[in-house]
Amino acid sequence: MNSSELDQAYTHLCHTMTRIGEPDAQLFLARLALLAMNRFDDAQAAKAWIDAAAADVSPEVGR
Amino acid sequence: MANYPDFVPYPFQAERHLARHPICTDGLEDQRHRVLIAGGGPVGFATALGLAKQGVASVVLEADDSVCFGSRAICVSRRSLEILHRLGVGAGFDSIGLPWTGGRSFYQGQEVLRFEMPQDDNQQFAPMVNMAQYSIEQTLLDGVQANANLIDVRWQTAVTGMSQDEAGVSLAVKTPTGAYQLHTDWLVAADGGRSAIRETMGLRLQGTSYEGRYVIVDILMKSPRPAERLAYFDPPCNPGSTVLVHKQPGDVWRIDYQLRDGEDPDQAILPEQVMPRVQSLLDMMGETAPWNPIWVGLYKANALTLERYRHGRVLFAGDAAHLVPIFGVRGFNSGIDDADNLSWKLGQVVSGCAAPALLDTYSSERVAATHENLSYGTKSTEFMAPPSFAFDLMRRAVLSLAVAHPELRSLINPRQSAPITYSASPLNGPDEWGALGPRPGTVLPECPLTQISASAHRAVFLSDQAGHGFKALVFTADGVLPPAWRRGDGESSVAVQAVALDAPHPDVDDVLWDHTGQLPQLLGARLGGVLLIRPDGHVMARWRDANDQGLAAVSTWLQQRLTADLSTSTGVTA
Repeated sequence: MNSSELDQAYTHLCHTMTRIGEPDAQLFLARLALLAMNRFDDAQAAKAWIDAAAADVSPEVGR
Repeated sequence: MANYPDFVPYPFQAERHLARHPICTDGLEDQRHRVLIAGGGPVGFATALGLAKQGVASVVLEADDSVCFGSRAICVSRRSLEILHRLGVGAGFDSIGLPWTGGRSFYQGQEVLRFEMPQDDNQQFAPMVNMAQYSIEQTLLDGVQANANLIDVRWQTAVTGMSQDEAGVSLAVKTPTGAYQLHTDWLVAADGGRSAIRETMGLRLQGTSYEGRYVIVDILMKSPRPAERLAYFDPPCNPGSTVLVHKQPGDVWRIDYQLRDGEDPDQAILPEQVMPRVQSLLDMMGETAPWNPIWVGLYKANALTLERYRHGRVLFAGDAAHLVPIFGVRGFNSGIDDADNLSWKLGQVVSGCAAPALLDTYSSERVAATHENLSYGTKSTEFMAPPSFAFDLMRRAVLSLAVAHPELRSLINPRQSAPITYSASPLNGPDEWGALGPRPGTVLPECPLTQISASAHRAVFLSDQAGHGFKALVFTADGVLPPAWRRGDGESSVAVQAVALDAPHPDVDDVLWDHTGQLPQLLGARLGGVLLIRPDGHVMARWRDANDQGLAAVSTWLQQRLTADLSTSTGVTA
């Protein structure tokens, strides 16, 4: 994706999650993560991206 | 007693202007006008100056008695600087404005984005200069007063009613010295976001109003910190908020910060609420100089527009026509583009050179421009003032990943104002040059050139070619015009400029020399080609062969385009 396509995808994600609503947002993001994970090359890549997403999730704790 | 610094005035004293009553008979002004402009703000003054450049007189009606007060527009784009220079007021912007080229964004105290606006050695102007709106208006007013023979500014004159028919518009106004009526052929409604003309006509802006509110604070502080756009997301000094900082001329600093959900706006602008937040921001930034507040206000983002900007003999421009979110600095700058587009078309119509249908293209071009501005402005607003939990959550995701994952940083970029292309304009003519360079509807790119006349060499820029009516650039190797482009006895509505792509012939006078050899690449210019530009610097047509398409043929083509009934082909395209 180029930066403008990334932007479009980002905005679509935000609008979709807004429509789904806060109570189901976690489930929505979990399903998206699962679908995206299935497109990773292998288990090692999946682990690497999971670790990247988890890094500094709460920076104020880590500081 | 309060323990915050005292309020001080702006480093600017606005002159108060008296109302003036024209000569009337039975409450109707004796003189009928060709153009009335409601609103003496940046857009109204720029429109009046654009008309005056063409020798067209106008009357500006301003409800207030001075230029504006408070913190409003502060960023003047490169495109606006081009236009303002053409209007003869550029020197004021050069001497007062603070130029800047980029900015930085921080998340929880860590830098996550550094951006630069397009800037290279070809440019005549900085990508942006900061200047307070009172100075912007005063600089334009100075230009207006230098054209007092053509522009009549009537202060303290508020519009109270209007009606129009086929022949013209009638306005009712009130002044401290009494009410009167006046007639005009054309009315430009540049009377701002709360336009009285729009209200009177029962027209409504349509679109989205955002809930997120920002407090805007101007302070006076001496700091050597350079001018750049600073954005702090969730800063340690104001957790959960977003803060923007801009330097303005005269040691004025503009601070915008977002109110948290549930904060009462009326409470939030009280000094005891505002000053501690400013102090903690300055502490975080490491600013130690003493400071004083000047002005505090509230801002709420709107993305609204009228469906069309021409309603009979009334033409809407600037905030009266559209409200664009503050983020991306497209409000003032799009208003200046409106004024630039409208003034040459109105000038052509008033002087009988074009059919009134030309004004429909003002509407269709600028409505399309607004839709483009709104699409960027909406994206910026959704980032700066997230309209739902989802936008807020995703923003936290982007900001917290941006340091480790640079590929996400483009999502933080503020999408600053950029020139707009009228790609679907019915005014666009043939394009025989191929894919390279600006297609018809596009603003000319910038390029340094050498103007040779009477054997003198002068450094000029390509953008200087705009603002002289319609102009045909004829490209040859040595600047010698082909026979079909040498002026005969006949009058032509097209100015002709020879451009030499190689060394100019020693005998030619008045030639533009592409001394850096960039035009073939920048414009797609080739030997023997013709490029027609509009008075506002947008490309209108590109013909391959100057011998085929001589001055007479281009003049006839243009004449037909200006006098045609274009109304059937002005469908608004977003």
